[in-house]
Amino acid sequence: EFVEIPLQNDKQVQTSVSDLLDDILREKPQEADGIDSVVVVDNVPQVGPERLEKLKNVIHKIFSKFGKITTEFYPEADGMTKGYIFLEYAAPTQALEAVKNADGYKLDKQHTFRVNLFTDFDKYMNISDEWETPEKQPFKDFGNMRHWIEDSDCRDQYSVIYEAGERTAIFSNDAKEPITVEERARWTETYVRWSPKGTYLATFHQRGIALWGGEKFKQIQRFSHQGVSLIDFSPCERYVVTFSPLMDTKEDPQAIIIWDILTGQKKRGFHCESSAHWPIFKWSHDGKFFARMTQDTLSIYETPSMGLLDKKSLKISGIKDFSWSPGDNIIAFWVPEDKDIPARVTLMQMPSRQEIRVRNLFNVVDCKLHWQRNGDYLCVKVDRTPKGTQGVVTNFEIFRMREKQVPVDVVEMKESIIAFAWEPNGSKFAVLHGESPRINASFYHVKNNGKIELIKMFDKQQANSIFWSPQGQFMVLAGLRSMNGALAFVDTSDCTMMYIAEHYMASDVEWDPTGRYVVTSVSWWSHKVDNAYWLWTFQGRLLQKNNKDRFCQLLWRPRPPTLLSVDQIKMIKKDLKKYSKIFEQKDRLSQSKASKELVDKRRAMMEDYRRYRETALQIYQEQKSVRLELRGGVDTDELDSNVDDWEEETIEFFINEEIIPIGDL
Amino acid sequence: MKPILLQGHERSITQIKYNREGDLLFSVAKDTVANVWYSVNGERLGTYNGHTGAVWCVDCDWDTKNVLTGSADNSCRLWDCETGKQLALLHTNSAVRTCGFDFSGNIIMFSTDKQMGYQCYLNFFDLRDPQQIDDNQPYLSIPCSDYKITSAVWGPLGEFVIAGHENGEINQFSAKSGEILKKAKEHTKQINDIQTSVDLTMFISASKDNTAKLFDSTSLDHIKTFKTERPVNSAAISPIMDHVVMGGGQEAMEVTTTSTRIGKFEARFFHAAYEEEFGRVKGHFGPINCVAFHPDGKSYSSGGEDGYVRIHYFDPQYFDFELEA
Repeated sequence: EFVEIPLQNDKQVQTSVSDLLDDILREKPQEADGIDSVVVVDNVPQVGPERLEKLKNVIHKIFSKFGKITTEFYPEADGMTKGYIFLEYAAPTQALEAVKNADGYKLDKQHTFRVNLFTDFDKYMNISDEWETPEKQPFKDFGNMRHWIEDSDCRDQYSVIYEAGERTAIFSNDAKEPITVEERARWTETYVRWSPKGTYLATFHQRGIALWGGEKFKQIQRFSHQGVSLIDFSPCERYVVTFSPLMDTKEDPQAIIIWDILTGQKKRGFHCESSAHWPIFKWSHDGKFFARMTQDTLSIYETPSMGLLDKKSLKISGIKDFSWSPGDNIIAFWVPEDKDIPARVTLMQMPSRQEIRVRNLFNVVDCKLHWQRNGDYLCVKVDRTPKGTQGVVTNFEIFRMREKQVPVDVVEMKESIIAFAWEPNGSKFAVLHGESPRINASFYHVKNNGKIELIKMFDKQQANSIFWSPQGQFMVLAGLRSMNGALAFVDTSDCTMMYIAEHYMASDVEWDPTGRYVVTSVSWWSHKVDNAYWLWTFQGRLLQKNNKDRFCQLLWRPRPPTLLSVDQIKMIKKDLKKYSKIFEQKDRLSQSKASKELVDKRRAMMEDYRRYRETALQIYQEQKSVRLELRGGVDTDELDSNVDDWEEETIEFFINEEIIPIGDL
Repeated sequence: MKPILLQGHERSITQIKYNREGDLLFSVAKDTVANVWYSVNGERLGTYNGHTGAVWCVDCDWDTKNVLTGSADNSCRLWDCETGKQLALLHTNSAVRTCGFDFSGNIIMFSTDKQMGYQCYLNFFDLRDPQQIDDNQPYLSIPCSDYKITSAVWGPLGEFVIAGHENGEINQFSAKSGEILKKAKEHTKQINDIQTSVDLTMFISASKDNTAKLFDSTSLDHIKTFKTERPVNSAAISPIMDHVVMGGGQEAMEVTTTSTRIGKFEARFFHAAYEEEFGRVKGHFGPINCVAFHPDGKSYSSGGEDGYVRIHYFDPQYFDFELEA
């Protein structure tokens, strides 16, 4: 059926009625099935008729937050309400909201609501009474998952992505040259990640991620998450969190999923509430808790239940940022100024939620939290605009976590801060401050006597990033990208510059987990030529230049924490001289083996080459007569074959130029 | 010894070549100019005037009587070396990319680019037959339909031409029949330059695939490979040492305004048998387009994108240097 629709410019358009009405038809009220919008609320107080009205008002007030309640039913028996009620909403989505938000609501000491969809009862009722023993899965033996740690020469591994992502390789780091362990084409579609203790290599694919491990890098586990783009491991390697920006439905949150690595099971899904930095969920150091921040809320979950700690989130009005201590189950968070209440940083113990320390801050513009790797110190970088001024100044508020009542010391910085980094296992920190081209590097020591001492400042540095060795003491100050790869190797025990070097256009610096080697690299993702990674010692001695066609990324494989006790480590350090001797001998042997190998190789190459030249020259001699003929009898085989033909000439050489002014003309 | 700087071109150098005895060095460039210099002191002997487009190639016969040049002005020209007089002008349909005299000096070959609907051709003229020159009729014209020739040299006895192509192929074309006698596909990208050893038994090919390779001229057996990180524009074989020199393959450096007199682009020296780099010479302000050894092996020259030709005489240490073996 067609209608004619007159348009403004008098043109007429024909369209079908159904096209026109489609929009309207879509909004036609559906005859509701009814039961999808019904919720059952349990643990409702049992009341008599005199208090029923009041109860209904309270319930209504609580539950109408989630939608329009169209029907309510309070079953009774013997003059009292039974203790459970039925509420019908205008739409199933509202019923879901009620379940999501009111389940676990504590009305009073004796009554905590349990809210369920009516349809769920049906679902759970229909579960078979018969218990079927789940089928026994055959044991998948992946071999020794820690095989790489047992390398007799203590070589660390690293992954390299090159050929613009087409190839991924794993190398074993030998000072002479990298040893290929594994190399695969299209192993990952974007990039790779190592798990925190180095057990797994994660690769990305359109349909999800895969974990690889063991001596041969077999596939250990697969997690199906369409369009996955980001992942994060729990520090204990029990869980992995995946994120995909693709659609997810309200009923089945799919944006963020937490998986159990060993079983491969999906433990819980979450919506992505707001755009935030990844990882959205932050893990406590022992993997017992994970938390995320949304508007005015801090939600802390516990494992393995994946449920909210104490069944409810923390309401923290205005919360801007939080982070876990890397050493204890303590959360640090800060809130900005609110009318008369100053901004403050709070340290909260988990799971008790006890506030260990609160620090008020005034005229705050912004804060950043920097934990020292063992959780011994927290540095809060505070940008403030002091009253009466326009500019921004920065303070470092240093929290001494190991001291009673967590004293706080303040370091005032006169210039704008470019970078800040704690010594990983020590009590020093480094700061890059100033503005290009006057960038300064300052080193501070947090001393036991309550003072924070400026040990040394280097001025006019070409640096925008700080890279501490994971073992502390040594570090690299790097001017990456726009600063053209300037490198400074520093020993912070006496704050000396050990070596100054350059890796032109370097985009990344990566320390190996032992702190012996540093890799600087030029990634194809940031610069399209000279893609390579260079290997240096911790003192700045260049060992290798490895060019790789369209090199993209290098990541060292992390090591699991040491199995040695503190005492054992002390003993080894005491006997270090003895061990050094053995290692030096081993190194010398391998060096001379290398030079011997090289020398042998060269000798063989020269022999081959000589043999080829002899054969070629023989043929050349045999062809002499042809050559003479071609040049009319003139022998040109040697430059001095025709001495008679030579002429004597005098030539001039340019020696010097002198300009003599003749004076005014 | 300080290098001798030849300043005779206003645009980038395309090729440089010594005559057989080495007393003369020829240079051609994109500025349409062809120059000839005394290699001993850098004094300019003269210029061959006539081309109206970039000159891509130059060659000199064994007796230093004739000079051959090829240009983007669609011509290949023959000159009298001493007087500079143009002896012949051979018109072509497209730019002349590479040219050369055979061992006897009687036959010339040149290749034309694939351009404006015209294929790439490898043309042969016998100079003893003036008719060919007058009629502009080569006695042999080989079409190359697939990948154009980018560099070519004559074989040891004038029987074939060794040609390098756009796709990295190297072919031996018979100068009598035009058929392909041998093929080699070792390079993966365009061949930028081919130069023979002084006795013509082997040649080195410089390629955009970041390597240079050494081949036997007759069998086309691949003997050695020299690897760098950037495209190689030119390579040459030392007449007296087991060395090769390469130009064009350099790592990017920070070119600051403070570096004035010494440019940072380097010529790189490799040991021919070990395939290992052992030295670099800085000096050019832009990529090096062409390198050549003096026939006595005591010096070498390089022509750059910067328009300069630099003649370097080796220090005594160069001849004593040895890699441990």
